[in-house]
Amino acid sequence: MSPIIEARTLTRRFGGIVAVRDLDFAVGHGELVGLIGPNGSGKTTTINLLTGHLSPDAGHIFVRGARADGLAPSAFAALRVGRTFQITQLFSRMSVLENMLVPGLARPHSHRAQATREARQHLEFLGLAALENMQAKNLSGGQQKLLELGRALMLDPEILFLDEPFAGVNPYLRDEIIGLVRRLHAGGRTFVIVDHDIEALQRLVHRMVVMSRGEKIADGTVAAVREDQEVLRAYAGV
Amino acid sequence: MRALLAVGAAVLAALVLGFPYLVNAYWLSVGVLAIFYAIVAASWALLAGYAGQFSFGHMAFVSLGAYTSGLLVVSFGVPIPLGIAAGIVMCALVGSGIGFVCLRMRGPYLALFTVAFSEVLRIVIVSENEVTGGSGGLEVPPMFHIKSDMPYYYLGLVLLGASLAIMLALVHSRWGLFFRAIRENEEAAAASGVKVVRFRIIAFAISSSFAGLAGGFFGHYIAILTPDIGSVDQMGLVVAMAVIGGAESIVAVTIGALGLEFLVEALRSYGQWRLVLFGALLLLTMRFARNGLLALGWEYAKAILPLSLWEGVGGRGRGLNMTNPSPSPRSASQPEPTRGGGVS
Repeated sequence: MSPIIEARTLTRRFGGIVAVRDLDFAVGHGELVGLIGPNGSGKTTTINLLTGHLSPDAGHIFVRGARADGLAPSAFAALRVGRTFQITQLFSRMSVLENMLVPGLARPHSHRAQATREARQHLEFLGLAALENMQAKNLSGGQQKLLELGRALMLDPEILFLDEPFAGVNPYLRDEIIGLVRRLHAGGRTFVIVDHDIEALQRLVHRMVVMSRGEKIADGTVAAVREDQEVLRAYAGV
Repeated sequence: MRALLAVGAAVLAALVLGFPYLVNAYWLSVGVLAIFYAIVAASWALLAGYAGQFSFGHMAFVSLGAYTSGLLVVSFGVPIPLGIAAGIVMCALVGSGIGFVCLRMRGPYLALFTVAFSEVLRIVIVSENEVTGGSGGLEVPPMFHIKSDMPYYYLGLVLLGASLAIMLALVHSRWGLFFRAIRENEEAAAASGVKVVRFRIIAFAISSSFAGLAGGFFGHYIAILTPDIGSVDQMGLVVAMAVIGGAESIVAVTIGALGLEFLVEALRSYGQWRLVLFGALLLLTMRFARNGLLALGWEYAKAILPLSLWEGVGGRGRGLNMTNPSPSPRSASQPEPTRGGGVS
């Protein structure tokens, strides 16, 4: 079976800096992948490339076998590729429910009643149901992260990229997010999670990809990656 | 409270409909101009307040609509309604083009670009005096060949009502939701599946169309078109009306435009000082009431009037409910909802 998403020799430069270089990366259905690396290693650039927020300078992206590089982010969303952001990006002065309805109504052939019903079910799932009329900017940081996840779920994504979901959250919420991801994964969704919190990722993911200076330096099981000497050198400075 | 509101609405409707019979010819003409400004300000609010695209060239589209209709009527004998319709189409097309060119512009860059567009159009109108009449103006036939402004007033009311109905339907539709999402965060909107480019252009085109409609109406009311219609001064006035009313509400902007046009005329005896007052009001609004004076007044009314008066109208209890407890802990076994309303 072809991967849900695949990058082939993907390259992206910013001026003279090569943020991502010749990256080959594929994610199959039902995988739960961790993407780690030191600051500036190209993780977020990779997510931005694989969700249409950046266009590659070279290389190709395939979604379910079809060429997707150069498509707009909205086209990736329509292909059921969802994402969250490193710094939470919400529609701050819109209500929680309206935040959920934007992707719900952006889907082709969607209806407001059905989208509202789905939004409320997701909010219930995320524990935000009681706050549906509150403006997003008035939520706590943790609630904002959950809302962003809920908004991505409204796309009914087959694959979800989570960019640093554990950054700046307390241990209780971190466990909460881990629990949610596990349940969503058990429901058939595929995840790629970028984070610095390796402890949290180890508890969650089955496969780990390590990047350094824009290149993939390791890709394997968590145990294998932990023993990889190049990873230790690049990531931990050992 | 609901009965009170109903009575208030009925009195207001009677005043609006009976206005031409209550005032002299001068104030009736002020009423017609106020309606014109209300359509322009509301359509600018659609673009700037809802879609977040701060255009300073909106009056250029009023000018474009007015001259398109005027020239078609004068030069080709086109019936006035058809001329106005052509002006609307022209503004929609040019507005789409401007929207496309400005796709990557935000904030001050967009404002400066649209000022430049506005000035270019004004200078073209001044320069092409053989076609447009230049600074001396272009005489165009009026819509009604009677002395009274009464038919213009009622026609203006119909146009304003229809424009507001369409704009309000739009902002409450999914398109309106997408406009606001783009205003709030373009990147998140795109990640949510909103076709940002398409909706930015749509917002520009629709907003410009209403400006064109207002321009056509205005042109065939005053019966002479001058390049000053699209001047930066006029644009400043429209922005001030929208900001003071509350640029993120079509209704508030409309009330703001109507109220301020009457206020400016009522204070005419104070000469230039009335504009100083106007400017001070604008500054105070921007400093203390970012959502406009009407929203501020509404909040004060809710705070001052007894709670019992708001029961049944949703005046309180809607919007933020700060008394809500924290979200209840979810059962660990609660499954993820699935598309289509079911639960897996």
